[in-house]
Amino acid sequence: MTGLWLAGLVRNRSGRLVMTAAGIALAVALLATLGSFLATSQATMTARVVRSVPVAWQVEVQPPGDPATVLAAVQAAADITVAVPVGVSRTTGFAATTGVADQRTTQQTGPGVILGMPDGYGEDFPGEIRLLAGAATGVLIAQQTAANLHVVPGDNVEVQLPGGHSGNISIDGVVDLPQANSLFQKVGAGPGAQPVAPPDNVILLPRAQFDNLTAPALALDPSAVVTQIHAGRAAPASPDPAVAFTQVTAAARNLEVTLAGAALVGDNLGASLDAARSDSRYAQILFLFLAGPGVVLATVLTVVVAGAGSDRRRREQALLRTRGLRPAQVIGLAAVEAGAVGIAGAALGLAAAAVIGRVAFGSASLGASPLSAVAWAAAAALTGLAVAALAVLLPTVRDLRSTSVMAARSTGRGARLPLWARLGVDIVVLAISALVFWSVARTKYTLVLAPEGVPTISVNYWAFLGPILLWLGSAMLLWRVCELLLRRGVGPIRSLIRPIAGPLSATSVASMSRRRITLARSVVLLALAVSFAVSTATFTATYRQQAEADALLTNGADVTVTQAAPTATDGTGSLTAIPGVRAVEPLQHRFAYVGADLQDLYGVRPSTIVDATALADAYFSGGTARELMAQLAANPDSVLVSQETITDFQLSPGDLINLRLQDATTQEYIEVPFHVVGVGKEFPTAPSDSFLIANADYIASATGNPAIGTYLIDTGGRNQAAVADQVRSVLGQDVTVTDITQARSHVGSSLTSVDLGGLSRLELGFAVVIAAAAGGLVLALDLAERRRTFALTRVLGATSRQLRGLVSSETAVVTVFGLVGGAVAGWALSRMLVAVLNGVFDPPPSTIAVPWAYLGITTAVIAAAVALASVVGGRNLNRPAVEELREL
Amino acid sequence: MKVTGPESKSNTENNRPLPLVSAVDVSLTYGSGAQAVVAVHRATCEVMAGQRIALVGASGSGKSTLLHLFAGLERPTLGTVTWPALGGRPLGWPRSVGVVFQGPSLIPALDVVENVALPLVLNGEADDVARERAQQALEQLGITALGAALPDELSGGQAQRVAVARVLASRPRLVLADEPTGQLDRITADTVVEVLLKAVADLGAALVVATHDGRVADRLDDVWHMSDGRLHLRAPAPQKPLAAGERS
Repeated sequence: MTGLWLAGLVRNRSGRLVMTAAGIALAVALLATLGSFLATSQATMTARVVRSVPVAWQVEVQPPGDPATVLAAVQAAADITVAVPVGVSRTTGFAATTGVADQRTTQQTGPGVILGMPDGYGEDFPGEIRLLAGAATGVLIAQQTAANLHVVPGDNVEVQLPGGHSGNISIDGVVDLPQANSLFQKVGAGPGAQPVAPPDNVILLPRAQFDNLTAPALALDPSAVVTQIHAGRAAPASPDPAVAFTQVTAAARNLEVTLAGAALVGDNLGASLDAARSDSRYAQILFLFLAGPGVVLATVLTVVVAGAGSDRRRREQALLRTRGLRPAQVIGLAAVEAGAVGIAGAALGLAAAAVIGRVAFGSASLGASPLSAVAWAAAAALTGLAVAALAVLLPTVRDLRSTSVMAARSTGRGARLPLWARLGVDIVVLAISALVFWSVARTKYTLVLAPEGVPTISVNYWAFLGPILLWLGSAMLLWRVCELLLRRGVGPIRSLIRPIAGPLSATSVASMSRRRITLARSVVLLALAVSFAVSTATFTATYRQQAEADALLTNGADVTVTQAAPTATDGTGSLTAIPGVRAVEPLQHRFAYVGADLQDLYGVRPSTIVDATALADAYFSGGTARELMAQLAANPDSVLVSQETITDFQLSPGDLINLRLQDATTQEYIEVPFHVVGVGKEFPTAPSDSFLIANADYIASATGNPAIGTYLIDTGGRNQAAVADQVRSVLGQDVTVTDITQARSHVGSSLTSVDLGGLSRLELGFAVVIAAAAGGLVLALDLAERRRTFALTRVLGATSRQLRGLVSSETAVVTVFGLVGGAVAGWALSRMLVAVLNGVFDPPPSTIAVPWAYLGITTAVIAAAVALASVVGGRNLNRPAVEELREL
Repeated sequence: MKVTGPESKSNTENNRPLPLVSAVDVSLTYGSGAQAVVAVHRATCEVMAGQRIALVGASGSGKSTLLHLFAGLERPTLGTVTWPALGGRPLGWPRSVGVVFQGPSLIPALDVVENVALPLVLNGEADDVARERAQQALEQLGITALGAALPDELSGGQAQRVAVARVLASRPRLVLADEPTGQLDRITADTVVEVLLKAVADLGAALVVATHDGRVADRLDDVWHMSDGRLHLRAPAPQKPLAAGERS
């Protein structure tokens, strides 16, 4: 019986089965491809973490542990690639006397730290130390410390140690310590401990020199010097951050146990993987959230497609019942049909996901690990089966219990509004959405530091509730508005469709008014699909825009050249001559004191910088980029300061501010007057906190130093890496050349490092398919359901043109309402998404990126699908009416 | 096969009234080869103004098909169907030919007035004029109260009366009814036949009713038989005394 029934279905209802299976496949493929994307993104996160943590473990020897024993134990641990001892000693301060002749001054700092570095440390742990000036080996002083002491390579510094000991050292180089947060962490701090701020004053010494310098202090107090073993580890075996975290932390604990209290492990890699693990979890929810509406829409479409054959199915059920089948047996046959289309759809969807994953992400796997791949595939397949049950099985059960064929066919004039509409649930849902939005937008996301100084995102999962409720609420509200317009707005609609329906506009609008429930459903379905496409496209476009802005800010430009020893010679000409270079902008980099606060000062060429670089208006307040640069040009003593400086020093635009800059001749800090004209929030290559922007010529004349430290090279967004190579070959090894492609992989948290490109293409592709299906399929099914009506109208004397007018007017109303409603809902949803998910953007966007081209294509595809459905439906309208009536 | 209109617009030829519809050696075959089904085989007949004809026969004998040929809804595969007194093809001429179908034939999304007015609107009447004429037709049939009802809210008999009103509103000269009482109980069927006969009488139109109900056939002037697609004409039944007002 079951086999016979199934064979009959395949033979006679193949269209319905194929369409239902296709709808299921769409939902399954979307979900499974998401698994594929997450697998890739998790691998990206893990790889980035491993790359960004040069020192995986800082193993601190605890008294009375023996450093040599600990070092041997660390070297013997599994997966350790390198392990070296580093000495750490606190100082009571540093002092330096600088200047020339009778203008010499002595600067004194507060407590600091000296590190004893083994030879080759820089090569063992690339990225831990970044050279800014002078030699890369010998005594290296941190940038801030050098500024505090006014020292440059070649100057002497006195190191003051506890117990009154001191020693003199000669500075060989100035360095930046990008990993200062983890480098100076408190090893063994508890999980809830606050991160420790890195010291302001740091000097790195060769190990032998460090030992000599600290020997007297060590003799007095054995705890004056601490030994840390810095170790590098091979990449974790698993690309899943959660699994990698477990592996790495377990290994760290194992080492601690092995050392039996002789040392504590500062697990930098574990901490970063922990953050990535949280980000990965957040990413899963975020991406599921972004793709969720697509799965819901595919489900609804499938239910609509399956529902198109409901009349026939009811007749078949009635026939089966009259042939003596019990309700349970009828349900059993429906379950067989649901199972068949569910399994076929799931198989098709999984296969499609594997192909899409292979093409889009380079991997056919649906998960980061075999277990998660199986879990994703199983979840997607189960979703497919659930959709099948919803589309096929549930209507059967419902029909058997209550509905009659005639009742189902009823037009339902005067039907009461659904309960939710009478209760105003849509308004309540939208109000809650607004409330959630307000509360989330108030707090926003923040990047916080874990105890080990690892940046991670503080996540408020409630934030997702706002957009979800907005999506649901706007759909319900749109339904209500459509129902109301079609019930009460008959006159205006009649006027609108008169050009299409002509004299039949009254008849057409009367018919639409009676069928308003069905039409409102079609409108809402189309609007939901459109809003999904709009919000997804806008979110991902904004994400891309901000990721690029972040990379540009971090690197400064497409290609950035930093001179180790700034020179007064303008290299703009030679750089401009390099093929692929569109513009070159020289940039001065100085340090200036604002009160006691040392800040970065950027000297710009205001006449050219706006056109030569990607200065955004959002980087400033108090005017646009162009306006503020014009002010710098017109009034050379103008300066842009940070908001923090404005607040701290109670400044207003126009105020005089005296900055202390280093004079080129005397090396002394001299007062230079500036006038505040605006606020700089971001600036290429600038740090995220406080900095100053001023006219380069003014700075040069005030300090007698026209030296250019940096060149920002615009390549027009193309061939950055190639141009960077060319620059290196032209300028040699004395300069540091970075390009935006390197910066892209180093910015933000591990989440923002995920390239959403693949997901964007995937979701945008699905969104177009779903929107086209929602527009075309729903219309086609509607026309098919109303073939009898059209045949009757034709028998009553309607010409083909009149019938086309009737169909077109209804199509136009559904399409226009759906597109407009979808666009409005999508716009609102986009704004809310970008606002509540602010934390994933770095820097936060000042404007939303609207992908007009994509939206145009989506609209065109929907229009084409609707037109195609109209044409196909119209072909049936031309068939002889009696023939049509005979078949129905 | 040919479907033509008359050369002349006159309703008489040599002082002989022109037939409303004339079928000459008409056949209609569905399908081809071994699958071919001959629905109507070489039928020749004429329907004159004022004639009231019952077309009787078993199910599948070809009654409905012949009616569809008379209405111009189907084209013969052989022979010719013409409408000499109607000035052309009935398709596009709903004033000339009205059809009452066997099953539900009302547009579900339109109320009764709109359903009745629809053929007039399709024929180019202004909406308000069409509605007024629809109201008049409903009044004639005594079903004004149903004007705002939707087809789903009507009983079978009411729906058929509305279908008759729709024909009446168009003021056709030839009314074709395909099993108009086929799905109705006896009392309702009697009412519908009364309504139909009165409407035809009011219009002075000819009536052809396809039916296998002898009681319906007995109330008409002529009875034509169909079996296996063949039409057998019979001499008109003895004239019955007409009720007052049955003929205008």
